[in-house]
Amino acid sequence: STHLDETTIELRSAIDAREQWTHYEAMTRDLSLSLTEQLRLILAPTLATKMRGDFRTGKRLNIKRIIPYIASQYKRDKIWMRRSVPSKRSYQIMLAVDDSKSMGESGSGSLAFETLVMVSKSLSMLEVGDICVLGFGDQVNIAHDFDTPFSSDAGPRIFQHFGFEQSRTDVTRLVRESIEIFRTARAKASSSPADLWQLQLIISDGVCDSSEHEPIRRLLREALEERIMMVFVIVDDVRNKKKGESVMDLKEARFVKDENTGQSNVKIERYLDTFPFQYYLIVSDVKELPGVLATLLRQWFTEVVDSSG
Amino acid sequence: MEDSIATATGHGQVQVYFSTNSPDIELPEEKRQLRVPTDVRRYGLSQILNSESMLDTSAPIPFDFLINGTFLRTTIDEYLVANGLSSETTLNLQYVRSLIPPLYEASF
Ligand SMILES: [Mg+2]
Repeated sequence: STHLDETTIELRSAIDAREQWTHYEAMTRDLSLSLTEQLRLILAPTLATKMRGDFRTGKRLNIKRIIPYIASQYKRDKIWMRRSVPSKRSYQIMLAVDDSKSMGESGSGSLAFETLVMVSKSLSMLEVGDICVLGFGDQVNIAHDFDTPFSSDAGPRIFQHFGFEQSRTDVTRLVRESIEIFRTARAKASSSPADLWQLQLIISDGVCDSSEHEPIRRLLREALEERIMMVFVIVDDVRNKKKGESVMDLKEARFVKDENTGQSNVKIERYLDTFPFQYYLIVSDVKELPGVLATLLRQWFTEVVDSSG
Repeated sequence: MEDSIATATGHGQVQVYFSTNSPDIELPEEKRQLRVPTDVRRYGLSQILNSESMLDTSAPIPFDFLINGTFLRTTIDEYLVANGLSSETTLNLQYVRSLIPPLYEASF
């Protein structure tokens, strides 16, 4: 794609990437399953209503096939109800992972990888729609596009794109380009536009120049109008951070000119006070993620999706 | 490329870690981490350190700042560019009481 042409980022070795992916996959396996179960209930509510209407209570018991499905190492996934009763709702889900240098420096890189592996595995197991993975920093790179199936070698190939070497964290650019990618994907989607839901999860240490916060806020309103949901997952590995370094405690100094005296005064504020994302969550341990992510998505569905019918 | 570095850090911020060898002007641990504008010089940094939310000094103390043992004599932005650093890095700023008379402060 055009984004890849302008980048100077070199792909990491396939062997290293595969090794790393396998490591994180093993580490997050149980959590992926837990997330899958929770997301299934949230992302497919239309389906549940349909089953109740068409098949009465008998068919709903199929949810219990989750256990044999897990026991069969996900081979028996074709049993899932979605096959017999086609869902009207389909999804395009984008995972955007911060590839900037601060991720490596703050020690949040491995927590971001755990999150990426866990969430992408869960989504691919769910088969609710297409998945895209981006890396961002001073530029935006597509590590996996919506058109490519998320097969077993997709993960390791995605990992090749990440090295946490980008010298800037341009979240404005990420949001702007993500909206464009979503627009293109919506135009190409086979399902009717009304049944297509677009969701982005941004996985990052959450830190960018706070002068970007206002421009980002404007772009987020644009996204909302186009029914693109953007969730910001702040990975905050407090175990590897000094006191006061957690994004929750992080402060910033600004110079504010006094209108009367013309003097510049120092104002110190909490970094997160101007954070533009309405839907954000802070994760310091990947174990918390299935629960908090599910709660947040449920909230979003109640507020936005269900109210719009 | 030079262009993009300039815009990248021009109106930007960088995270700094303030430290000192003088116990009487040491910041509490949770205040040592701070995001600051990259266009400040030692005077601006001094102002930040003296502010109410930081050391809350009754009379401003002029400070000098050392990065890797060298006195900061430019803006942080210029320092980053000159040293090939990005604003993604946390800068360790060691502060000391300035020996420069406060009168000449404006020239820095
Ligand atoms: Mg960063």
